[in-house]
Amino acid sequence: MAFASSHITAVAVEATEFPDLARRYRVSAVPKTVVNEEHEILGALPPDAFIEQTLSAVSAAKTPVPTDSTQ
Amino acid sequence: MSLISPPDQQRLRDAFAEMTNSVRLLFFTQALGCETCPEARQILDELPPLSDKITIEEVNFVLDADGVKRYGIDRVPSIALVGRDEAGVDRDSRIRFAGAPSGYEFSSLIHAVLLVGGRPSGLSEEQRQRLASVDRPIVMQVFTTPT
Repeated sequence: MAFASSHITAVAVEATEFPDLARRYRVSAVPKTVVNEEHEILGALPPDAFIEQTLSAVSAAKTPVPTDSTQ
Repeated sequence: MSLISPPDQQRLRDAFAEMTNSVRLLFFTQALGCETCPEARQILDELPPLSDKITIEEVNFVLDADGVKRYGIDRVPSIALVGRDEAGVDRDSRIRFAGAPSGYEFSSLIHAVLLVGGRPSGLSEEQRQRLASVDRPIVMQVFTTPT
């Protein structure tokens, strides 16, 4: 996915080697993917589902709440 | 002695022979206080003898602040994969490995090298288009264990 988008960075983290990260993201089973530090995808999913979950996690998180300046 | 058996070395040689791009493995390391850095380096050193398209470049995590920042590295050992096409133009794959690439991570590393080396990703055209529409930074941390 990183290869398909210049906005995506993929980091494979060896969980046992970095217990601080495993604790911070509450990794109790692998594979576990953490998207932008807050959204979790558990297990290995087929590509369509994986892409779907990633994109929906990001759009849910970062879409600004529309504000109406006239109110 | 090699960490990889001769039959596996041959399989890797055959797979790497298909690569059209060169792959630079930037290895971020430090001399002190990094228990798995030597192991990571040892694993990486297995690869260049199997393909003239694979190179390892060591980056000092402590001294090379520019390199560390440029590739967004925050711990050691880490590996950043950078492709270089036939025209000699570098393209950061934005694929990183944190920790020694042993066990399952080793096969993930090999897949990543082949991908950056030019092998098709296996994603469909539709999937690629969906990803190409991403317009904001996404960092995906994939936690794994060696076994």
